[in-house]
Formats: sequence, C-alpha cells, structure tokens
Amino acid sequence: MSRWKNSALGRTVRTWRGGLSLAVLVLIAMAALFAPWVAPYPYDIQNLSATNKDPSLAHWLGTDEFGRDVLSRIIYGARTSLTVALTAICGSVTLGMCLGAAAGYFGGLFDRAVTAVVDLTWSFPEVLIALIFVAILGAGLYSTIVAISIAYLAQFARLTRAQILTLKSETYVEAAVNLGSGHGHILFRHLLPNAITPVIVAGMLATGDAIILEATLGFFGLGVQPPKPSWGAMMSSGSAQIFLAPWTILGPGLAIAIAVVCINLFGDALIDALDIRHRVRDH
Amino acid sequence: MADAPVSTNSNPPPLVQTRGLTRVFQSRAGLFAKQRRLAAVSDVDLDIPRGRVTGVVGESGCGKSTLARLVLRLLDASSGSVHFDGTDLASLRPAGLRALRRRMQMVFQDPYSSIDPRYSVHDAVLEPLRVQGLALDEAANRAKVESLMAMVGLNPVLANTYPHQLSGGQKQRVGIARALALQPDFLVLDEPTASLDVSIQAQIIALLEQLQADLGLTYLFISHDLGLVRYFCHRIVVMYLGRVVEILPDPTATPRHPYTQALMQSTFEPDPRRRRTVTLLHGEIADAFNLPAGCAYAARCPGATQRCRSERPKLIHPDGIEQGHSLACHHPLGS
Amino acid sequence: MALLEVRDLCVTIGSLQPLDRVTFSVDKGSILGLVGESGSGKSLTAMALMGLLPLLGGRVSQGSVRFDGTELVGLDSERYRALRGRRIALITQNPMTSLDPIQRVGAQIDQVGILHRGLTAADARARSIELLTQLRIPDAATVHGQYPHQMSGGMKQRVVIAMALAGDPELIIADEPTTALDVTIQAQIIQILVDLVRQRGLALLLITHDMSVVAQACDQVLVLYAGRIAESNTVEAIFAQALHPYTQALIACIPRSGQASGSLRGITGIVPSVASYAGGCRYHPRCSLAQARCQTEVPATQVHNTHRIACHVATAGAAHG
Repeated sequence: MSRWKNSALGRTVRTWRGGLSLAVLVLIAMAALFAPWVAPYPYDIQNLSATNKDPSLAHWLGTDEFGRDVLSRIIYGARTSLTVALTAICGSVTLGMCLGAAAGYFGGLFDRAVTAVVDLTWSFPEVLIALIFVAILGAGLYSTIVAISIAYLAQFARLTRAQILTLKSETYVEAAVNLGSGHGHILFRHLLPNAITPVIVAGMLATGDAIILEATLGFFGLGVQPPKPSWGAMMSSGSAQIFLAPWTILGPGLAIAIAVVCINLFGDALIDALDIRHRVRDH
Repeated sequence: MADAPVSTNSNPPPLVQTRGLTRVFQSRAGLFAKQRRLAAVSDVDLDIPRGRVTGVVGESGCGKSTLARLVLRLLDASSGSVHFDGTDLASLRPAGLRALRRRMQMVFQDPYSSIDPRYSVHDAVLEPLRVQGLALDEAANRAKVESLMAMVGLNPVLANTYPHQLSGGQKQRVGIARALALQPDFLVLDEPTASLDVSIQAQIIALLEQLQADLGLTYLFISHDLGLVRYFCHRIVVMYLGRVVEILPDPTATPRHPYTQALMQSTFEPDPRRRRTVTLLHGEIADAFNLPAGCAYAARCPGATQRCRSERPKLIHPDGIEQGHSLACHHPLGS
Repeated sequence: MALLEVRDLCVTIGSLQPLDRVTFSVDKGSILGLVGESGSGKSLTAMALMGLLPLLGGRVSQGSVRFDGTELVGLDSERYRALRGRRIALITQNPMTSLDPIQRVGAQIDQVGILHRGLTAADARARSIELLTQLRIPDAATVHGQYPHQMSGGMKQRVVIAMALAGDPELIIADEPTTALDVTIQAQIIQILVDLVRQRGLALLLITHDMSVVAQACDQVLVLYAGRIAESNTVEAIFAQALHPYTQALIACIPRSGQASGSLRGITGIVPSVASYAGGCRYHPRCSLAQARCQTEVPATQVHNTHRIACHVATAGAAHG
C-alpha cells in the first residue's frame, strides 16, 4: 500500500493540480462510459419545432439546429473524442516505442532508415499528416484513429530511441550481457522499463493534442460522420448560428477546453512528481 | 619464465590464457577530422593460474578495463585469442558462449550504476539464475537468494529494498552476490572498491579474500592502487598504455621496470617513518592516439636512451631474474 | 602564534549541525592533514574557512577562526574578499570544473596576479609562466596559451595550483587536490606542495581521505568523524600510538607493504549521513570498544600537549600498549 502511495502516481494525486484534474477526467470518462444512462436524451432525437432553444430546465444547454439536446450530444461526443484520442495515442505510443527501441538498440542501417523516415514526418505538422491520411483512407472513425496515430508516431519513436541510446551504455546493461542475457531480456527487462516513463508522460500530454486534432478533423467534416456527435463537428455546425444560439458552439468548445486543460495539468503534476523522486534519491 | 605458448604439461594449465590479445578502437573519419585510432590493448600474453589472484595494475589509459572485458568477451578482440579452460572464446556460438558465461563473471566498478534501479535486491540477485534458466519455484528462489546474501554479509531483510535505499558498500555486496549466483570458477573484479570509502573498501576486500579462500575462486583483480594489489594478489601484471610492461611473480618481488618503480614510489605507506622519495618525472604520458615508435614510457623515463625511443622492447624473461618474472625494458633496473 | 587558529568551530545548515566544535591550528611552514571519510565535514571546514558557507545555505553558528590575528567569523564581505585568493588560497577537488573551459589557462592565472597583486598584464603573464615552470610543466609558455580541454588531468591540477599561488598566499587550503588523478601524478603534486611549503614558508591545510598521503606529507594530523574531532596529534604520534578507535581502525584499513593477506579489517557499519548522526559519541555504532556511556554521553575533548582526543575509552597522552 505504501509503495502505491509513494509512487509517482500516488504523489501526483495528492496535489491539488494532480488530484483535481484527475477527478474531472474521471468524471468525463464516467459520463462518456455511461452515456446512455447519464445523458438526459439520446443524441439523435430531432425536434424540429424546438430548434436553437436557449438553455432551460428541460435542456440544460439548449438545443441545436435540429432540436437535439446539446448537453446529451456533448456527453456522447465525449465518447468519440476520448475513444479516438486514447486509441490513437495508445497505438502511436506502442508502435513508436517498438520502432524507436529497435532503431536505438540495433543501430546500423535499420536505425538510419527509421530515423530518416521519422525525421521526415517530424517536420510536418500533425494536422497535415492527419489530413493526408484521412484523404487516403476516407473520413470516418477508424481512419481518424489511424491518421492521428500516424501523426504522433514520430514523437514517440524519437523519444524512445534517445532513451534507449542513453540507457544502452548503463553498467547494468553490461552486467546483463555478462550473465548471458539475450537481446529480448535486455530490451524488455531492462531498457524498456527504464525508458518508458518519459514516453508515458509524453503520451499523456499528446492525448490532449489528439483531442484537439480530432476536433479539428471533425470541424472540417473529416472525422466521425453524422449523426454520431463529435465535438469538432458540433462546433462547426454551431458556428453557423453563433449569434442565434451561442451554446451550440460554446458547449462543445468548453468541453474540449476542460478536457485538454485537465489532461495537461495532470501531466504537469506527474512530471513534477517524477522529478522530485529523482532528486530525492540518495547516492 | 615468460608466459609460455598455449599448452604446457608441467603445471596444471592456467584457467585463462590470452595470446597476442589486441583491441583497437577507431573513430570515423569526419569531414574535417582524420580517422583516429586507439590501441587500447596491444599484444597481451597473459596466463591466469587457477585458484590464485592475478592483479592487473596501471593508470588511466593503460587498457586494464578493456582487458577485463576482452577476457570475458564482453568486447570482441581485434586480433589475438582468449582461451578459457582450453576453449577459444572467439570460436563459440551464442549458445556456447552463454553456457560458458556461467563459469566466468564480473564484479563491476560502479555499484551505483551496475544494478538496474527498478530491480529489488531479490530480483537483482535472482536475475543471473533466471537468465540462465536455473530459477525454480518461489520458495526455492527465495532460499537461494537469502543464502547468497548471507554469503556476502548482507542482512536478508534487505531483499525487498531497492538500490537507491542502499549504501555504496551494500550495493557492491549485491554486485558480488550476483557474480557468485551461478557458481563461477573465475571472477573478474574491475576496480571493485574504487568508489568506496576506505573503511568500506577494507570490508569488501576482506570479504573477497574470504570468498576466494572458501570457494577456491580464480580472480583477475584490476586496480590502479598498487598497495592494494600487492596486498591482495599472488601475481602482479603491470600495464602501461595498452601493453604489459612487467609481470611480478609475487608481491615481494623487486620491480625492475622503471614504470613499476615509479608506481611503487608513488604508492605511499601509512607510516611516516617510511616516506617515499618522489623523483619528479619529466614529460607527460604519451598521447594514446599517437603512440610513438619504441617504448611508450620513453618520454617519461629517466633512463631512456636512443634505443628506447626507436625500438619497442619485448616482454621477456631476462637472465638472472627469478622465475615467473618478465619485463619489457631495454635497460632493466638493477642490471 | 599560529597563522591559522580555529577554535570550537560549529557550522549549521538549516536544522542540521554538520560541524561541531572543530579546533586546530596551522603554523607557517607546516602542513596539517585534515582526514575524514565522506560526510565527515572536511570540505565544509574548507568552505567555512574561506567564508563560502552562504553558498550552501549554511553559516558559522559558533566558534572563532583567526587568520594572522584577524577574526574571520563575522568579517564583512569586502574584507573577506580581499583576503580570499590573495592571502588565503583554495585548491579544490576537481580541476575539471574549477577551470573556465572557454578561457585559456594562462589568462586565468594572469587574472589572479592582476586582481590581487596589481600587476600589469605583461608582468602577470611572466609571473604565470614562471609559476608553471616551477610546477614542472614542460614548455610553460606554450601551455600558457592552451585551453583546459587540451590538457591532461594532472596538468590541469597544476594550473589550479598555479592560480592558487599567483596571489602569493600565506595559507593554502587544498581540498582533496589529487583524488581524481592518476597515482604517479598524485605523488608528483603532493611532492610539489610539500616543496612549496618548505621553500616558501607557506602554511598548508591538506584535506584528504587518504591516510597514506597524510603519512607521506603532513606534520600534524586531525582526524574528523561525523563532524567532530576524533583525534589530533603530530603525524608520528598519530601513526605510532593512535588512541582513538576510529583512528586506529582507519590506519588499519590501508594495506601496508608486506602485510599478511587475510589480515585487512574494515570498519563494520556504514559512514553516517548528517541527518542520521548517532547520539552520544557519533562513532559508537561502529566502535568495537563502545561502552554504555558512549551511547548517551558526548565525549569531552581531552588535551595533553599536542594530543587532542574525544573518547570515553581512551585517555589523552597515554602510552599505547
């Protein structure tokens, strides 16, 4: 129990920044998970006689241009945003770590090839890469996930590769070779576990970016297709009636902002917690 | 007698033999930089007798750490050979090398970085067994780890602690326990006490002595501290800039090589009645990347002649000197 | 009167007291060896003498430091700065970090002469080259124009010594000046320092963890453990008849020429960190002669001629065995 409390995660949760942001994120995640029970209305019920209504007791955030409940659509939209962002980043981190670790560990021609490709993608903005892949694969949920995944690949590959290169020369790696360890043992039991921490943190912060990227794609109608709600698409259609029914754009906009800010705050708190740990180590 | 060619019949053969062992490091030629070539170890013939402690002493740049790694094949030689109990290490495939590693282990210099910070003491001591496929069920493993910890003087209660919670001396004991886990015949000790306080250093040396006597181990003890080497080792090899310059058959043998003499002079006694006279040397250590022709020590040697600067002396056993004592010098001291 | 007299020096950093009542003196033309393992407070002593404790967030809480009659504790920073580098020089442990990597070494030595001796640039340069030659650096004029990265560790340390000497100091504090160096270079540097003291009548406070260096070079010895004096005496007396268990054990940790194998004994236990000093005598957890009172009573310092010792078990001035 005390190992948990003393771990970086435990200490992060106990700060205001870390604990509060995590609580909000958990709230959002729960709402998204239990959307059918939490949302007051289904996301696609239209009511053309009650379009663009102001917030009221019946509709806490009003209705949109089709009379659909904005709040419910935001809650269901959380599903889209979180699913896409988390899946994409998980895939990106996994693939990026594999490529980066292999490049850093084995070196040689493979390393140079991977580095060249990674550096090439690194020089393009993520939005552009995502757009390219959506253009190739067509719009929709799965292509959005793939596109975002590839957009962030370079970051994790580079980070992992740099970590592996540094850790490769640690004495305990030499000690493992001395014992007769094979490449697999060294990579999975020594190098990756020690390399993973900064990558996890980077992944966490990238999740915030991914939510924004998904919203951006959605804004241009390239993400999840209607009637499935997406915060970006909601903002896009809401922009048409920004003065008539500001809640249709402010609602999803605030949702994005809160989610991303909380992710970043939590990530920051985590970095601090990890840093203290390293400083406190006695030598 | 100079270290003889590979097979001898008179004594039990040495556990480890190297012949012409050489390792060169080369930097890549850059756009504006020439390729640089560093001969870290050159042409080393070494016999390491069974059940004895062989010391390798020298200062920075002498190649002793590289030699340690070549002997265990943690580094591949550029040329020359290493034979462990008759087997040529270079001829082994990965599987064979892996099996042989059970018999030869290393204790590393820096206890702070030689243990994975994420591994508990238990995990670290068990790792050799896991890697070699010798780990058993949890209870047996725990018992094995505890017995190894007891062997090196570690309280078994520390089994679940992590490196950052241990002192330097305790970490080094963990390193020794790891080295012993596979029951090796041969241990290479690469400056195992260099980063420890004097009082802890003496503890660890006492432990190593006791283990050597109890388990009949063969040690290759690498150090820059001649006083420690003379205390601990049966046989002393002196290296300078990658080459062996003298081999002393026992710690009391009188050094004949000017460099060994300089090392002796520089090793102070803990006794004010036996102060050394330090002759101030001229010149600096030769640049390892640009070794001069001839004897590498000539630049600093007070007795250097023209011959020394042009002709590199070979490691031989000169007449009139006791058995087992070899040196590489044109003008040995006392001759 | 001794050039440097330190009496009951206590240093605090935050809530910790790493140094407790340290007392010693250094005469002109003599070398005092301050010996201790890591965490004993020896570097802190050097910092305290140089007035550099504020850099560590520490201060002298008690005691006196008299240099040539002037009290240094509480001295205003103007006057302290006038002393530092000029009359008292510090040679630090790691020459790699005490030299500015982007300045030529000669310029760094010259600066001391210009600043503290009011020399002209040309005079300072000539003096620096002369110093480097005295320190047995071959081709001193060329070396004067080199950068630190072009030199070996031994050369760099001699440059640092030259910087210390350039102000023409009366007292040199050398904090582990040879720890990072090769053995043969270490011997050279120690010999150079000893020659300087004898020839110029300097006072040298040599801080080290190595008792054999002390035996080779020092006239007086002070053994520090966990921030307190364990024992101090002349070098002959300390080695011939050390009475404090720690001193005896420390000497026994170093193998002597011809010592039988299997006879080397360390000291059980670990060197304590400042936060975990034991109550009573700070050495008692590791002491083979510890009695009940050692755990609770801080041993008083007994003084007898040149001998100072703080131990319940041993008596000052008593003959050994």
